[in-house]
Amino acid sequence: MSVIHEGLYKGDKQNQRGVNVKKIDKSVADAYFREKTRNMIIYFIVWFIVSFGAVMIAEPLSEISIGGFPFHYFMGAQGAVVTFIILLFVNAKLSDGIDKKYGIDEEKNVKLSEGKSLDH
Amino acid sequence: MDTQFLVSLSIILATFGLYIGIAIYNTAKQTSDFYVASRGVPPIFNGMAIGADWMSAASFIGMAGTIMLLGYDGLAYIMGWTGGYLLLTFLLAPQLRKYGRYTVPEFIGDRYNSHTARVIAAISTIIISFTYSIGQLSGSGVVIGRLFEIDAKLGTMIGVVLIATYAAFGGMKGITWTQVAQYIILIIAYLIPVIFMSLQVTSSALPWLSYGELVGKMGELDRELGISEYFAPFTNGTKWQFLALMFTLMAGTAGLPHVIVRFYTVSTMKAARWSGAWALLFIGLLYLSAPAYAAFSRFILMTKVAGSKISELPAWTKTWVDTGKLQVADGNGDGVLQWSELIISNDIVVMATPEIANLGVFVIGLVAAGAMAAALSTAGGLMIAISSAFAHDIYYRVMKPNATEKTRLNVARLSIVIATLFAGLIALDPPGAITQIVAWAFALASGTFFPALILGVWWKRSNSQGVIAGMLVGLAVTLGYIFAAKYGGFTILGIIDTGAGVFGATAAILANVIVSLATPAPSQKIQEEVLDLRYPEQMTYKNGEVWMNDDATKSV
Repeated sequence: MSVIHEGLYKGDKQNQRGVNVKKIDKSVADAYFREKTRNMIIYFIVWFIVSFGAVMIAEPLSEISIGGFPFHYFMGAQGAVVTFIILLFVNAKLSDGIDKKYGIDEEKNVKLSEGKSLDH
Repeated sequence: MDTQFLVSLSIILATFGLYIGIAIYNTAKQTSDFYVASRGVPPIFNGMAIGADWMSAASFIGMAGTIMLLGYDGLAYIMGWTGGYLLLTFLLAPQLRKYGRYTVPEFIGDRYNSHTARVIAAISTIIISFTYSIGQLSGSGVVIGRLFEIDAKLGTMIGVVLIATYAAFGGMKGITWTQVAQYIILIIAYLIPVIFMSLQVTSSALPWLSYGELVGKMGELDRELGISEYFAPFTNGTKWQFLALMFTLMAGTAGLPHVIVRFYTVSTMKAARWSGAWALLFIGLLYLSAPAYAAFSRFILMTKVAGSKISELPAWTKTWVDTGKLQVADGNGDGVLQWSELIISNDIVVMATPEIANLGVFVIGLVAAGAMAAALSTAGGLMIAISSAFAHDIYYRVMKPNATEKTRLNVARLSIVIATLFAGLIALDPPGAITQIVAWAFALASGTFFPALILGVWWKRSNSQGVIAGMLVGLAVTLGYIFAAKYGGFTILGIIDTGAGVFGATAAILANVIVSLATPAPSQKIQEEVLDLRYPEQMTYKNGEVWMNDDATKSV
């Protein structure tokens, strides 16, 4: 645990170590968490439909053809994978937006994380 | 010694020289930069490094062959091994990054505040990585066996020496850039033959678009031969097996110690999200190409090789028959090789196809170098996971807390050598195809780490008794099911050994939840540390309140 954590709990604004921390409304932090969780639930619903969902209805899907592929084969070989990639980039981008909205500064995060793990 | 041997060997040696050069350059640089903190690798390159770490002999050598032989049913590997990145990147990687530990057993030991849990996690790490490495050694045996035109068993022995040396004396520090180079080599080596085959068969340079019509065409050929269509779903197993295998591979992805550790090396939670996204993009390049590789290989085998006279088979058949992985037997004695008389192992399709399609010595050599890059980079990561689980988590944290760094390093190296030799011994007579062996490792990860990590990060009530029960039950159920299904013929809903993770994960989650609820809750401090993982680094949860750090000056 870094120094910041020990110092953090001991006082408001300026603690005895001189670290500048302030208490924020719990509801603000909860709103941050809720927004991210809501997005994540949406991603997982899409994830489930394109993978498990498409497999479950593979037989009827095989009647449809797309670009020469039977549709169920297309989903397994390409459709699902491309959807996964898009979801990951959408998440990365939207999460950046949420961080910004709540005043999170990435440079400060970098400093806070230093030395907490292996630096390969 | 023929030209092919010389060209392949030169390309392999040249790429090895490149990896060693990068490693030496970075180690030297690192010593001079020793006191400069935070040289974060940009997420895009970290994504490539994760890709190289992740894509093993199973992805490179085994997967296209598995899809070729299983048809649609083989696509469970494609969706499973990519879909798991969502579980990993959304539910675990950023949170574990914020918690900040050196190894996965260390997270489990500290989060659950239990030495017993730490040791069980370390042993699970060793079992999982060990199983996984059997697949890598078996893969290097195929490559080396073909190169020297010797039995794959002898090739495996050479691979053991190579991988033990590589992992024990290199690859400890500054490996990220070496892995970036390995990714670039392996993706080029994979894409070139696919694109060449696409040009040859469909005269399109975009295999991803052009192989669709081939899939349909092969269905017609199959109907003429009276066998089930290539793309027909669930011909090699039940629908439940497909779903169970896909789940196992996804959950296993989110629970593999050597992959999770890569996310400890990114700078922040945000970097973890972006690294995960880039990693899947780079991995996706190969995974989108594997079914195309499979389709072209099968089409070429069906139309150019099957139907030719046994006495006039091209030279490549002999070299592959020598490795023991290809059989061409004229079963009905008519002097013609029928499709059903050609028995090809999953594991040689990728390696043999460039020869079959006559793509030239350079491409064949490149594919061999790419396969070695895939096997080496992953084996390196696996061996480091094994050695850190033993030397750091068991030997240092539990057995000898005052061991010197030098002793620990020697213990780490010794554990690598022993693990590689032992895995090599099993790989001499591999208990399954490469993809199958690797799928067992994923089943074990989904039965042990996946539940322990998900509940550890997202459920503050989960305690040490719960996680110990969960990991032991998950390990026992997964191992039990793999053996019962593979050797005892026992199956539920047609789910075979490779789908065992679905039972392991379910049993482990149930055991963890039930035992946790029946025993006292973890300390207030641990529960707050768990809630703290919901927020970014700048927010800290303490005593029911959230604090925002605006300076980020931690050294005062």
